Amino acid sequence: MVSITSKTDPYIERLEAGGALLPDSPENVLEVVGILKSYGVVLDAYWRNLLYIAENQFLVFFPFFKYFNGDTSWKRLLRHWWHDRINFEYAEYCMRTMLWHGGGGLDAYLDSVEFQESADAVIQAKFKNNPLILGLNQLFPNFLLEQLRVSAYYSGLGQFWRVMAEIFLTLSDLYDQGKIKSIPDVVDHIKAGLVANANNPITYTVKIQDKAYELIPSSAGLTFLADTAVPYVEAVFFRGTPFHGTVSYNAQAYQIPPDQARFQYGALYADPLPIGGAGIPPTLLMQDMRHYLPEYLHEQYRRSPRGEDDLRVQICISFQKSMFCVTTAAILGLMPYPLNTSNPDERKANRAYLEKWMSRFTVSRLSAVNN
Amino acid sequence: MLSALIFVPLLGAVLIGFLPFGIDAKLTRRIALFFAGITFFWTVILLVQFDPRQINQQFTEFLPWIDVIGWNYHLGVDGLSLPLLVLNALLNCIAISSTDADIRRPRFYYSLLLILNAGVAGAFVAQDLLLFFLFYEIELVPLYLLIAIWGGQRRGYAATKFLIYTAISGIIILASFLGLVWLSGSKTFALSTLHTNYLSLETQILLLLGILIGFGIKMPLVPFHTWLPDAHVEASTPVSVLLAGVLLKLGTYGILRFGMNLLPQAWSYVAPTLATWAVVSVLYGASCAIAQKDMKQMVAYSSIGHMGYILLGAAASTPLSILGTVLQMISHGLISALMFLLVGIVYKKTGSRNLDIIRGLLNPERGMPITGSLMVLAVMASAGIPGMVGFIAEFIVFRGSFSVYPVQTLLCMVGTGLTAVYFLLLTNNAFFGRLSPQVSNLPRVSWSERFPAIVLAIFIVIFGIQPNWLAKWTEPTTTAMVDTYSTVATVTLVKAKGKS
Repeated sequence: MVSITSKTDPYIERLEAGGALLPDSPENVLEVVGILKSYGVVLDAYWRNLLYIAENQFLVFFPFFKYFNGDTSWKRLLRHWWHDRINFEYAEYCMRTMLWHGGGGLDAYLDSVEFQESADAVIQAKFKNNPLILGLNQLFPNFLLEQLRVSAYYSGLGQFWRVMAEIFLTLSDLYDQGKIKSIPDVVDHIKAGLVANANNPITYTVKIQDKAYELIPSSAGLTFLADTAVPYVEAVFFRGTPFHGTVSYNAQAYQIPPDQARFQYGALYADPLPIGGAGIPPTLLMQDMRHYLPEYLHEQYRRSPRGEDDLRVQICISFQKSMFCVTTAAILGLMPYPLNTSNPDERKANRAYLEKWMSRFTVSRLSAVNN
Repeated sequence: MLSALIFVPLLGAVLIGFLPFGIDAKLTRRIALFFAGITFFWTVILLVQFDPRQINQQFTEFLPWIDVIGWNYHLGVDGLSLPLLVLNALLNCIAISSTDADIRRPRFYYSLLLILNAGVAGAFVAQDLLLFFLFYEIELVPLYLLIAIWGGQRRGYAATKFLIYTAISGIIILASFLGLVWLSGSKTFALSTLHTNYLSLETQILLLLGILIGFGIKMPLVPFHTWLPDAHVEASTPVSVLLAGVLLKLGTYGILRFGMNLLPQAWSYVAPTLATWAVVSVLYGASCAIAQKDMKQMVAYSSIGHMGYILLGAAASTPLSILGTVLQMISHGLISALMFLLVGIVYKKTGSRNLDIIRGLLNPERGMPITGSLMVLAVMASAGIPGMVGFIAEFIVFRGSFSVYPVQTLLCMVGTGLTAVYFLLLTNNAFFGRLSPQVSNLPRVSWSERFPAIVLAIFIVIFGIQPNWLAKWTEPTTTAMVDTYSTVATVTLVKAKGKS
């Protein structure tokens, strides 16, 4: 029997040597940077919409035009019906994944008395002329409160992706300038971005009739890295990703562990190949990204055996590679001690830290992206 | 008019043979397709001008040839041979268009395909026993070469086995034909002047046995079938298409035309045995198909099973069952050709036909979803699912045969259930589930590769929904065949009772 450690040792050694979970090769660099550029463009649209919903569509029971970012023209409506649009639903699915798995300071703060009081103030202000809703709120006090918790997650994820979009687009610019040449360069750039923004405050303020209500004030002490980035990676990369149609599990056959923390259905585990008969839609994210592929990456996909027939699968495979780079950056960014420390105790602690991470990759797509 | 069906492809074969050495394979294919297309177009004109209400041979052509032995160039077509002629012309176009664009030795290859086309067409229109035999033997040579040169790894073995079996079949058929003519006292080999009523029943049975074995090898019927799976597995896709689609039909056509038609008394005598033989073929073919791991071999064994239905219908010899046999010939020709085409595409793209290796080919992104969907359609058609030509053909065979051989018919119906079993195994293994890692990076299937299969699928569905468009060309002829057969068979029965 092969032990977990022996399987993951080469990766740990590679990380300790300054490498990444994804092997360094010119093809991988091209793929990862190219896909992160298109991801950056898409994330840019996602975060704007998430913040628009959080700030303008909170406590709206039927938000028919939530994906319109305030532009409800006929032209926009026709484009929406024609499906010539960004799939903002994907962003919402990610937000719900974060909400469902929780974790981090944001999750804890939303259960605090302080948040409940702020939320109550918002509810009273929003519905001050609507006794029916206020009455219902008395009967079901958790309903509107939960709506605001959801809105807070819209805002939290929007703020997280605002930073990430910038990091990815800058990465692409640097690659175009010839400054990014290897996978460790990619990882370093992402890590530097995460570290630089690590302590950015996460706040959430809504306006009702020109009066601002702070649902998450800066005094709550929520920060970018610990309270949005880490829970996001945990929820979407590890536990469950909204990639449609990749695989289905049967809970009644005990294929799903009862403990949410043991879920391994995240982006790093997802099978890029849809299973079953025809008609299962590929993930909305891949559909969005294919519109913004840089030409050099698009050309590489065109040269593959299937050309553009399996474009979304190829995008998914590249995306998975890029997410292993982001994960590497997150792992290295959270290392207890500097990677190049010469102190044996610190090296031992670093090793234990890496082994703990690597134990989570045994059934992931790590070996697939390394072959 | 009928001579054109023989000489146009032959002319094409000669012209292609004289093309300059090293000519582009694609251009050669286009030229071959042009001649095959003209032949197909010509059969369509025949179809339009054919009067289905007439039961006699139409468009007859007669040219005295070797008077000394009574051998004449005599052609004609009726409701039995016309659909098979159209099928032959259509499948030849399909086979040429589904050939690899960069095939080796293209001039030789396409010449052989066209000679094969001419030989089969000649056999279907020949109204002279020796002429039929000549064309029957002519198709043997190109087919042997097509397997031996462009076949798989064991092509030499498969081609030789095919040659031996079919040569023996030819010898037995020739012996039976000579016996028929000489013993009946006929001065020519003309089909229309042959009368076997004066022959003793024993002699007739002996002659019929020769015809049954001779054409039974070609169909093939169990236990003369062993050449077929080998030939199919080793033959290239277009050759398999022709082999299953048309060449096996020479066997069924021969049994009806020369067995039932020429020797009705003996036929009525051996018919119960033939019905049982049909059951054995159906169940054996289906059982063997279930055990196969090679997709092509599975489809080949399926053919053996499906040929049994034709024998059952022929044995029952009712108007409906004989009509069913003709429909089944066309149905099997279309469905098996489609299946071999699709298996060929799968093999070309994956490099394997092994059901233990290939999985998940219906994958919408990386598999071959259209090919897979067409295969599901072909499988449904072969298993007799309503709405497709396979259902209507099998239903008519069973409906027509049940009144005469209820037990055998029911057992053959079990065969259709088994067909569903092995084809479900095939589709489930090869097309559903996750793409196996060995085949997860398949090259795309082009529309030119899909097109021939789509054409066949359209015919399968159209004739399934509107079988009258197929049956109307045949029904008067098959009804007349049964009327003649019934009259003679009744006389035989009365005579037999009188003697006892």
